[in-house]
Amino acid sequence: MNKSSPAYLALFLAITAGIAGGALYSANALTAPVIKANAEKAEKASLLEMYPDASIDDFVVVDAEDIIADHPSVQGVYKYGDDIVIFKNAVSGYDGGTVFLVAINATDDTIDSFKAISNGDTKGIGSKITENAFAESLAGKQASGELDTISGATLTSTPVVEAINECATIAPTVE
Amino acid sequence: MNRMQNFKNGLIKDNPVFGLYLGLCSTLAITTSINNAIGMGVAVIFVLILSNMIISAIRKLVPDEIRIPVYIVIIATLVKIIQMLIQAYAPALDSSLGVFIPLIVVNCIILGRAEAFASKNGVLDSALDGVGMGLGYLLAVLSMSVIRQLLSTGVLSMTNPFNEAQVLFSLRLIPEDFTISMFSSPLGAFMTFACLAAGLTAYKLHVQKKEAAAKAAANSQEAAK
Repeated sequence: MNKSSPAYLALFLAITAGIAGGALYSANALTAPVIKANAEKAEKASLLEMYPDASIDDFVVVDAEDIIADHPSVQGVYKYGDDIVIFKNAVSGYDGGTVFLVAINATDDTIDSFKAISNGDTKGIGSKITENAFAESLAGKQASGELDTISGATLTSTPVVEAINECATIAPTVE
Repeated sequence: MNRMQNFKNGLIKDNPVFGLYLGLCSTLAITTSINNAIGMGVAVIFVLILSNMIISAIRKLVPDEIRIPVYIVIIATLVKIIQMLIQAYAPALDSSLGVFIPLIVVNCIILGRAEAFASKNGVLDSALDGVGMGLGYLLAVLSMSVIRQLLSTGVLSMTNPFNEAQVLFSLRLIPEDFTISMFSSPLGAFMTFACLAAGLTAYKLHVQKKEAAAKAAANSQEAAK
């Protein structure tokens, strides 16, 4: 076959892509289980920070596809014990937004615990959301009621509070 | 001798970043900490050596018309494999380098060396060229990240990329009140880059002048004879 005929070129590219695909397939088969285990471990590690006395197996991952489809800020849902539902949320803020966990007691609608995982907003202003004072101001409050935002950092804290209110409406429906 | 020269060129004179101005996008973005720089540098070296070797090995088979797509497929495959390995075994590195690992595919250093060197030279030479250029890149990102991390946080530190919690060393050189947070932003990246690139150019001019002077002296000696 002529080396510059279109058929030869197409065949050559196809073979190259085939070999590349094979290499990728085997690399994926090798690493996919490790990556999945890593991701689960990383997620549960932040849950452990909320409940230091718990063990990693106490948290049950809830199949939350429907919830995530209806509520775009929700990233994941976990159950801890019979009553507590933990939501992982990502909301936009002033710049980078906030990723946080909130644990809501589904029976009496109180906030059991709050933990900000990361905040990409202005350091010293929006980042106050990651400080203990904010988490303490939420603990024990009614999750569906009015919650205090951080003065001076409303662009960061309002979406967080709104997301908590939203989670409060979902919590009783999680099984 | 010639091989050694090739290798040394990549490190300093033709340093891909400060000499040839290649791969700047990732350089400016990831040089905020030493950890990132080393992770990125090692990933680039790995891809560069392997892609240079593979491309050089098949250079006589690849039809000229489709060489670029073939190179891209090879490079993209290697990068994807590296990305999966990093995700699996150094997840902390993966989260801090983020999108810049997949972007190694379009890093001009790699395609540039494939086109300019590996497609015209033997496997061993190409591998050496990859080592030289890769180390040049590592040296560049490392020097930038040391300056940026030191000025923006006042601390030189490194953690084990395979275990985030293990701190290898941490050294506070500048008190917290005197750090310049600007150096962690893109502005600081450009300034650091400009100073280092200017430094390398000054060094190259200095060497050139010295060589020219030595040549002139030799010429005049010859004329005197």
